[in-house]
Amino acid sequence: MSAQQNPPRTWTSLGNVRLSDALRGVVLTAGALLALIPVLWTVLGAFKSPTELAARPPAFLPDSWALTNFTEALTRFDFGTYLRNSVLVTILATVLTLALNSMAAYALAKYNFRGKNFLFVLTLATIMIPLQVILIPVYQVVAGLGLVNTLWGMIIPAAATPTGVFLLRQYMLSIPDELIEAARVDGSGEFRTFLQIVLPLCTPALAVVAIFSVMWRWNDFLWPLIVAQSADVYTLPVALARFNAEETVPFNLILAMSVVSIIPVVIIYLFFQKQIATGIANTGGK
Amino acid sequence: MTTTLIPLSSRPPMKRRGRGTWGLRLAPYLFLFPNMLIFGMFTIWPAINGFNMSTYASSNGRTFKPVGMDNYTTILSDAQFWAVARNTVIYAIAFVLISTVLGIALAVLIEKQKRFKVFFRSVFFIPVLISPVVVGLVWGWMLERQNGIVNIGLSWFGIGEVPWLVDNGWSMVSVIGVGVWMQVGFYMLILLAGLQAIDPTLYEAARMDGASPWTQFHSITLPLLQPSVVVVVVLATIHGFQSFDFIYTLTGGGPVGATTLIVQYIYENGFQSPIRYGIASAGGVLLFVVVFLITIVNWLISRKQEAV
Repeated sequence: MSAQQNPPRTWTSLGNVRLSDALRGVVLTAGALLALIPVLWTVLGAFKSPTELAARPPAFLPDSWALTNFTEALTRFDFGTYLRNSVLVTILATVLTLALNSMAAYALAKYNFRGKNFLFVLTLATIMIPLQVILIPVYQVVAGLGLVNTLWGMIIPAAATPTGVFLLRQYMLSIPDELIEAARVDGSGEFRTFLQIVLPLCTPALAVVAIFSVMWRWNDFLWPLIVAQSADVYTLPVALARFNAEETVPFNLILAMSVVSIIPVVIIYLFFQKQIATGIANTGGK
Repeated sequence: MTTTLIPLSSRPPMKRRGRGTWGLRLAPYLFLFPNMLIFGMFTIWPAINGFNMSTYASSNGRTFKPVGMDNYTTILSDAQFWAVARNTVIYAIAFVLISTVLGIALAVLIEKQKRFKVFFRSVFFIPVLISPVVVGLVWGWMLERQNGIVNIGLSWFGIGEVPWLVDNGWSMVSVIGVGVWMQVGFYMLILLAGLQAIDPTLYEAARMDGASPWTQFHSITLPLLQPSVVVVVVLATIHGFQSFDFIYTLTGGGPVGATTLIVQYIYENGFQSPIRYGIASAGGVLLFVVVFLITIVNWLISRKQEAV
């Protein structure tokens, strides 16, 4: 605050607050249009026929809002299969992540044992090893296990996320030890205590991990691209990228399936905005 | 629950049944085991083995020939690798600069907004949600030279056809622009959280002292936002060095390799013929070194900040 010797009255200062408000509104609206127009254009394109897409100048609205592009992609091409694969991978991977991460987080939050700090640091250190840098050696492991060209080969390798463990551990630290001790005295086994007492209390943190897992897995591309070698195990993004490059599927159908891939994540976002904002603020969302 | 707590204090801990102590000692390891097994098999072991593999050569992934450091000498004398390294650095620097500055601008503007705050925040976040594959193919369609909506739009203002995806320089501009479009909402959200943590009374005091909005911005907002900015710069740098999927569908790395970045180089050497496994592994190790250095620098900076 060194430069406060009588600042000149600019149009942004007190006198003309409304002008700066208006300017900010204009800038933000222009930015919002820039963010939205490509999405809107995609949705409109998903309803157009190949001739409409090739027309110049292009018509803004499609001739009809019939779902023919969607039904054709699902029937004439195998997009039903790719959609099913994507749903399976997303759900199974998320369930697996929640199970593995919450158990590990519970051990790190509520027990004292030898090697605890080492294992915690080791877990966090794996954040620094993204898949992209170990692509070849991970592929070797997956190939050795016979998981290439299977959905499990896409699901398992990234199931143990370090940030999931971190987030859940932080949350579990706030659960009072007395609660767990009381369950023990009541004769509840360690696993039952975890399942029936600790997990239900962690629902908000589990929700954050689940939301990120779903969004990430649904859009995941590089790893499924490597694992899926025949079309029957393609996920939606892999199918879209491959068929777009090979030009084997008409572009209007590609657009329709692109819209199908956008819908679930946008719905999840609109429902869980608050959790997503907290998750990103706490971990940087990775 | 409280009633069961009372006998606990009166009960000597040694009296716990055998199963109890045994179970209690073993339990944490059993809880950790599945997660650690996956970490070990698919992250830690590959990370160790990755360097080892970079000292072998293989063209099929089954038979390996030890070659020592040859992969590194090959890669470092490979003109294609240096072109890829150059592309990656150009992309990463431009991406980090533009998305950080734009992210700060958006966050500050949205934070000041009294109405439609949630609306703007959501709208700028939508591109983050879209599959990068879809982002690439949709922008590829919109940036088409003759029939793309972008060039058609520009022609209304009398601007001729821009060769967005077919010219070397322009294709890098397109890749950077689309990368920022896709990612900036994410950084905006982190920065918004940082802005909301700033004590509003500081601004009131500054206003009473007659500080202009610009003075307020650079003597209150920027310094106090710095921790969030560091986070954004680090995340953006790592993201920049690892970008692959949207470029794959936007330009395919072309024209003639002008937008091929390091991850695509690793992918192509590892999984497209002619397969050069050793080169791909060495590329992975080099990328790891870069990501690792960025993390270390970040750690040093944040420690220095704490010390101040």
